[in-house]
Amino acid sequence: MSTTGNRPTSRRGKRLAGSAAGIAAVALTLAACGGGDSGIGGGGDDAPAAAEECPCEIRFAWWGSDSRHEATQQIIDAFEAENPDITVVPDFTDWDGYWDKLATSVAAGDTPDVITQEERYISDYSTKNVLADLGTLDIDTSKVDDGVLAGGQIEGTQYGIPTGINAYALVADPELFADAGVDVPDDTTWTWEDYVTTANAVADGSGDKVWGTQDYGFNEAGLNVMARQRGETLFTPEGELGVSEQTVADFFQVSLDLVEGGGQPDAARTVEYQAAGPEGGLLGTNKGAMGVWWTNQLGALSDSSGHELELLRLPGESEGERTGMYYKPAMFYSVSADTQYPESSAKFVDFLLNSEEAAKIMLTDRGLPANTDVREAILDDLSPTDQKVADFMADIEDEIVDNPSVPPHGSAELADIMERINTEVLFERITPDEAATQFIDEVNAAIAG
Amino acid sequence: MSVIQELSRGKQGVSARRKGDGRWALLFLAPWFVGLALITAGPMGASLWLSFTDYDLLSAPQWVGLENYTRMFDDPRFLKSLGVTFTYVFVSVPLQLAAALGLALLLDKGLRGLALYRSVYYLPSLLGGSVAIAILWRQIFGADGLVNQVLAIFGVEGQGWVSHPDYALGTLMALNVWTFGAPMVIFLAGLRQIPQMYYEAAAIDGASRWRQFRSITVPLLTPIIFFNLVLQLIEAFQSFTRAFVVSGGNGGPSDSTLLYTLYLYLKGFGSLDMGYASAMAWFLLLIIGGMTVVNFLASKYWVFYDD
Repeated sequence: MSTTGNRPTSRRGKRLAGSAAGIAAVALTLAACGGGDSGIGGGGDDAPAAAEECPCEIRFAWWGSDSRHEATQQIIDAFEAENPDITVVPDFTDWDGYWDKLATSVAAGDTPDVITQEERYISDYSTKNVLADLGTLDIDTSKVDDGVLAGGQIEGTQYGIPTGINAYALVADPELFADAGVDVPDDTTWTWEDYVTTANAVADGSGDKVWGTQDYGFNEAGLNVMARQRGETLFTPEGELGVSEQTVADFFQVSLDLVEGGGQPDAARTVEYQAAGPEGGLLGTNKGAMGVWWTNQLGALSDSSGHELELLRLPGESEGERTGMYYKPAMFYSVSADTQYPESSAKFVDFLLNSEEAAKIMLTDRGLPANTDVREAILDDLSPTDQKVADFMADIEDEIVDNPSVPPHGSAELADIMERINTEVLFERITPDEAATQFIDEVNAAIAG
Repeated sequence: MSVIQELSRGKQGVSARRKGDGRWALLFLAPWFVGLALITAGPMGASLWLSFTDYDLLSAPQWVGLENYTRMFDDPRFLKSLGVTFTYVFVSVPLQLAAALGLALLLDKGLRGLALYRSVYYLPSLLGGSVAIAILWRQIFGADGLVNQVLAIFGVEGQGWVSHPDYALGTLMALNVWTFGAPMVIFLAGLRQIPQMYYEAAAIDGASRWRQFRSITVPLLTPIIFFNLVLQLIEAFQSFTRAFVVSGGNGGPSDSTLLYTLYLYLKGFGSLDMGYASAMAWFLLLIIGGMTVVNFLASKYWVFYDD
């Protein structure tokens, strides 16, 4: 997201080259399909150790924006230059279409060889035996922090390797704080109550020209941080709901306190700002001084606001019994359990994960690289915004107690549940206590199904 | 004799050619038949079968009998989506038909530039199902959108219409009413069919315009009204794009725009509960089918056929 803008001038040429490669690759796939499908059902089951017959062709599926597609194509080109007998076929869509397309490809028996996965879906796919056990493949994960690597394990099996890491953080606009005559709070000590009073003070101080903060209740990550600060967790490693009703109720109460104090917009506006993404939200449009976002969104937020934004820890880090912030795997690289070419797929994942060349093209577009050596190597190439993210991530590293385990099967519905219940709370159709009961019932039903 | 022979040979010639024509017809119809079999009938059969299974797309379907169908009635979101859909259909379709008929009556007066007006009013029907219009709708009915700016001129402080659970469905219904062009064109054609002499006779008898409308226009137009009603009801039950785009894909705010087909999609592709989604599709078919049957039965009592 943040890599746009500092691209070399020969963009057009590269794109042409890229699409030519893409067309050639598609043509090759078609040829391969026409050639015979005996390989798919044939020897894939029990002989992965035997050397693969190449030239071979693997398909890599990912989601994202145009800048990611271009960068990924460059990485594929670099990989193919190193491994002339392997062809990588690109298969990309935007986020919304990705999961529909992936599910239908799997249903049709046409699973991509290398699949980009995400936290909310990886359990579903791994429990249905769609993903290969990466532990059996030749991928070097020694440079990835164990805690981060564990984010891609389900019951001890490595189904995904984190591409990079993000943290859920509070983004603040110091210019708007200054305009309102309010100091940017000290994020190592501030409490949840401070968060409410600060936001209300900003709105007050600006003469209600800007709001203090954007509502945080649509994303379960904030709830998870608050739960962890209290020694709870959203999902236990056993895959059960681990948050108490009291915490959920308190979480929603913060939003109501903010609306009442003028620190955040009314319910209808909040719903609109939420739908408008980072660019159209309060920070992006200079209409609010704070918001809670993933660290990889800082670039998009800064670009559209035009202000120098700061990253802060979420409130309450020193208030509870422990800290709640964590590293979230931005996404995962997974390999299909049915791939005809497990070795080539592993080689490609290894390249994506460990190659400095690949990292220098990708920068932080798939999160701050999970491979710590590679992360060091690209620091100088990062934009000032991305450097800020890297610094922030380094700052909180020692404070992080642990990273949450992969959410259980069925958690893909969580986003919808949060959105629905938060809206009901904001429009005061249910109280935070009722919201807590409803949340727990609905999430339990979703993960049981 | 020879004449008869000649005739019969001629006959044979014709019938041989007819046979050949039939084969050609089949050939030309083939793409349509293949399409029907592969693209419509095949998937329909598959979905009927899937509706009796537990199927998550990623692993093989498991037969569960009628469970998907019985589960629906314990699912509060399913019942909510039924409520939303019925409200949407039974409020917006009559309004849409009224708007279509009203405009058709105006245009039937023989305005100058009729073709232009007809096109202008038909345009929304072409655009109304599109994503672009749905996005535009979001803007217009947003908290700082056009509607509220106009209201502000009159000193009224508006709502964020699309983002408020009490009004969001209203904006969708307004969008449906606005796409009255297709029924309007059909009404216009229907109005042209009514013989002028009825009106002339009524005018001589001193009937007012309202009386003429009630006693001549409406009765003679009932077949057209019926046709439009059946068509628009069926279409409204299947509305998807608008709700999907206006609500940001989840039927929000708080399920107030959760139309039936949108929930079906969310179940199938969001929760990967394809068996349940298939059962919902078949249940919708039953609803629409049942309603159409009722419509036809009821039509005996109010639709008047002139011939």
